[in-house]
Amino acid sequence: MEPTLHEGDWLLVDPAVYRTRSPVPGELVVAVDPRQPERWLVKRVARVAPDGTLTLTGDHPAHAADEEVIGAVDRAELVGRPWLRYWPISRFGRLA
Amino acid sequence: MFERLMRALAPRRTVHAHCDIPCGVYDPQQARIEAESCYKIIQKYHDSNDALFKARCIHVKEERAELAKQHIDVMWHDYFKPEHVEKFPDLHDVCWKAAKQASQVKRSLELDDAQKLLELIDKIDKMWRETGGPGTTRMQPAQSAA
Repeated sequence: MEPTLHEGDWLLVDPAVYRTRSPVPGELVVAVDPRQPERWLVKRVARVAPDGTLTLTGDHPAHAADEEVIGAVDRAELVGRPWLRYWPISRFGRLA
Repeated sequence: MFERLMRALAPRRTVHAHCDIPCGVYDPQQARIEAESCYKIIQKYHDSNDALFKARCIHVKEERAELAKQHIDVMWHDYFKPEHVEKFPDLHDVCWKAAKQASQVKRSLELDDAQKLLELIDKIDKMWRETGGPGTTRMQPAQSAA
């Protein structure tokens, strides 16, 4: 998810926002990895299908193909929206 | 005090952005080549009288040993499966010792330490071969025309 996120960034995640509405393309999500449920992913929403399932992508150009690898993600697998990076202090701030 | 504060503020869970596709290509030779490099570097270090050259040896050996450790970790975590552990009950122990030995080689200038790393990687290589590794985790080279 570079350059938006760097390894080791500490994020605050809003667990409530996606309970009442679906994410829209371009929003960041934390979701359960459909392939490995003990693993959580942080990705950006590429598309929302009519049935509400999400296609996720990464910000780094090399990860453009992520959506094919991860597969469709169900809304039930969403954990929340990362909205703030609070560490390191040098990059403290809201996430776009 | 600061440490306690940082621990309290630290996240509870890790989230991943990488796909870990995984590509399915594995070969302990990646680790072995780095380990061989460490062995040779240690030899060259002891054969040299040039302080700067020796300093470079130490620096480069540390880098290659770290790479050996990463390749060992990939074999351990990504290639080997539960059924392999049934066949080789000491699999975890071998991989763990190999990773630890790579760390040892990072800081050591003893040829014995580098030799021991090679031997542990060879054990991993044996387990990879005897679990069908070469046929399943490496692409076969193109056949050249006769």
